[in-house]
Amino acid sequence: MELKVRKYSNTYIIDVNGEMDLYNSYKLKELVLKMIEKKIGQFIINLENVDYIDSSGIGALIYICSTIKKINMKLQITNIHGSVKKVIELTKLMGYFPISNSVEDAISKIEQ
Amino acid sequence: MSDIKLLKTDENSKLFDTTGMFFKEFNSDYRQIRYYTLLVVQKAPPEIKEINLLEQQISEIIKNAVKHGNKCDINKKVKVWYYFDNEKAQLIVEDEGNGFKELETWNSFNKKRINCFINQNFEEMEKYVSFRTKHSDENDSGNALFAAVEYWNGGVVFNKKRNKVAVLKTFPKKRHGIDMDSM
Repeated sequence: MELKVRKYSNTYIIDVNGEMDLYNSYKLKELVLKMIEKKIGQFIINLENVDYIDSSGIGALIYICSTIKKINMKLQITNIHGSVKKVIELTKLMGYFPISNSVEDAISKIEQ
Repeated sequence: MSDIKLLKTDENSKLFDTTGMFFKEFNSDYRQIRYYTLLVVQKAPPEIKEINLLEQQISEIIKNAVKHGNKCDINKKVKVWYYFDNEKAQLIVEDEGNGFKELETWNSFNKKRINCFINQNFEEMEKYVSFRTKHSDENDSGNALFAAVEYWNGGVVFNKKRNKVAVLKTFPKKRHGIDMDSM
């Protein structure tokens, strides 16, 4: 899994590339925690290039979502598709996660 | 709600019948969980793999056995029986641990979680997104069985000791040839 960060206005977009599994999902958690320490408060996690997620990946997203909610910062998760979407649906987290269809969509929700 | 799915214990469940199933035995090497899973799932026809959903669901059950059952003790074995065809995926996984003692607690936790989902109460759901026990560590996400109990639509059944779990997923029958009803 590879993580790339880009910025649009005050929002930081994390592009996740690869598989989010039991061996690497902690990396995303660590990155977001570091960014929060640096007072970053608006996040988009873009899963366009993620085709595999397991319970550790879901766990990382839950942890991030829960942390960001607690400190009243903003998060959108975008471009979930295929089996990633299926796993989120099976875990009944579609309404719990703040989900947008695209990065543009997410930006407009966050920046409004 | 009556349609909330439960983990069950039934030593005599027909899901424990290994007749005609393939068998493999693995060491409890955490680093090899996805590899073990691939060795099992390679027997499945592509029609039921749903890209990698079947693989992912099998890996969770093997992970539970390696990590929570055998505590990643490399000398302890995980036994896996499996069978796949176009209409079903069946798996039995046994570890050498003390068994999933918290099964009833899990069922009641999951029931509360599902009720939050039904009522779309996501604030309350925050309490039920991760099932923790006194053995959980920071790497345990505590959500694998939430998806498993939904995915394995033919049941998730434990033996009496609860160190062996059998799961079944059935897939809709595919029609072949000409559909006479539509003519």
